[in-house]
Amino acid sequence: MTTRVLIADDEALARSRLRRLLDELAEYEVIGEAASGSEALQISLTESPDIILLDIRMPDMDGIETARHLSALDKSPAVIFTTAFDSYAIDAFDSHAIGYLLKPVRREKLERALEFAARLVRPQIEALANDSERPATRSNICARRGEDLHLIPIEEILYFQADQKYITVRYLHGEDLIDEPLKELALEFADRFIRIHRNTLVALIWVERMEKTPCGQYQIWLRDCAEPLPVSRRHVTAVKACVKKCI
Amino acid sequence: MTRQPDNRTNDKPGDAGDSARLPTYLPNFCSSAIVFVVVLIAVLTSIALTLARQTEWSSFFSDLAKTSLLLVWTSLAITTTLCVLRSWLNRFSVAGASILTFAAVIIVITTVSEVIYWLGMTYSPPGMPVPNTWFPQHHWYFLSSNIVVGAIMTGLALRYFYVSHQRQRNVESEARTRIHALQARIRPHFLFNSMNTIAELTRTNPKAAETAVENLSDLFRASLADSSKLVSLAQELEITRVYQNMEQQRLGERLVVKWQLNELPQQARIPSLTLQPLLENAIYHGVEPLPDVGVVEIEGRRKGNMIYLSVRNPLPIRKFKSEAGNQIALENIRERLELAFGSSASLSRAIDQTHFQVSIAFPIKK
Repeated sequence: MTTRVLIADDEALARSRLRRLLDELAEYEVIGEAASGSEALQISLTESPDIILLDIRMPDMDGIETARHLSALDKSPAVIFTTAFDSYAIDAFDSHAIGYLLKPVRREKLERALEFAARLVRPQIEALANDSERPATRSNICARRGEDLHLIPIEEILYFQADQKYITVRYLHGEDLIDEPLKELALEFADRFIRIHRNTLVALIWVERMEKTPCGQYQIWLRDCAEPLPVSRRHVTAVKACVKKCI
Repeated sequence: MTRQPDNRTNDKPGDAGDSARLPTYLPNFCSSAIVFVVVLIAVLTSIALTLARQTEWSSFFSDLAKTSLLLVWTSLAITTTLCVLRSWLNRFSVAGASILTFAAVIIVITTVSEVIYWLGMTYSPPGMPVPNTWFPQHHWYFLSSNIVVGAIMTGLALRYFYVSHQRQRNVESEARTRIHALQARIRPHFLFNSMNTIAELTRTNPKAAETAVENLSDLFRASLADSSKLVSLAQELEITRVYQNMEQQRLGERLVVKWQLNELPQQARIPSLTLQPLLENAIYHGVEPLPDVGVVEIEGRRKGNMIYLSVRNPLPIRKFKSEAGNQIALENIRERLELAFGSSASLSRAIDQTHFQVSIAFPIKK
């Protein structure tokens, strides 16, 4: 049985070189090529490759964030990063025993890396994001719609609202459901979102105003959002202070 | 010995020009290290003074105790004063801060001397016209000798602080220049990606691989040459096009470079690798992070005796993370233009909602 490999790199020649090297190795089969991080995610979802060769510097979403979203998939592939030059990332790979290849990739090194390729676990990726001098926060939230993945840029998100099991993400052009604990989202995006209710985080940049209803309840209005969101009594003081500071 | 402080004042006018934007050379008198140095200076001075005054050993230690008591406490008072005045003194130029420090020291010495003399007068036992020898007896002699010794020592100390500060600044600026020189070279990112391109081309398109190797050699020859060297504008435009070809090979349709050069004097001189790094920046920060096509516009024109070149690139919505090299590269180009043309050359940048533009202007020199 052959191992199925996905190549992700924004440069066509870099992809074709890896493909050519892999074609020379009998036990590996290239199942696809992706030119960006989001494309790599999409193909991973539908094709479930065993290994992904992931370039770090790619437009729309860099390799390290892509790896982070990949690790949340049910059948996540093993990750081998490729890079031409990124001293911070390389130090981080070394210290967390994460597989990587330097371009131009040598055949023997590729073979060896494929042999030892391993899935990344979440703590590893978080440590990697920290050590490679990238912010530990994602720049997109990845929502799944059946066979489709949808990446929502953080700056377009108005609020997160927790239901019983899922979280509704309301963004500029619609809504999606994600399956992540609200607590962790609050922690990861602490500098962008503020908790206004036990089940709601709103994006500070979209807050328009806060007001008191005739019945004594506080509510917050967001730009581009027709409905106000209730602010719970517990959070009123903190929200007030923050809204005053930020608007 | 009194020559030293004068010497220092002579140095100052030369530095007055750039002193405005420099932090003062005065050390932090609030730090324990400086307090220690000051006490040490006071003790050593006391020993020297006592030795110079003494003709026999019998009264050496009592005399030393007296002198060092005076000097140590005076210098601690001075240190405290300068510590308190520190943030205020920092606002002045080198000359201003020196004069004010000097004045503060003399005021403190005068005050301390006066207090000691009057203490001696007030607390002398009744009936004895002359108080015991622990207090000074000749008012004006005591005061004036204290001030003269203090002035000389302060002059020496200020001179010392100034020289060591100056030396440290030289070391720092030398290191900075060296780093800039290194950064003027072509990005390693570009080198290795090009190598990767060539590695693939050798199999699929040997002819293109050959061209790529030639291009890369030209670029590195230019990059390894003395970065302060002036080349002709034609040469610089040529090397920029060579660089563009390399990137075109790598990025394909994603990169579009629009040239618009109007009657530029090809023989005009320009520091080597001035335009090329601007294009490199534009591609690195403006085109590579874009998922689809990025257009870089290079414009050149002549107006009177000046040449204007500008490079404009789209601003990506989201930048690649951890890349802050841009400032240094631009700073480097600015420095080299200044070195070649003085103040008549300039570099400016402009950012609007969608684009980033760097413009350089320099006089025509043949």
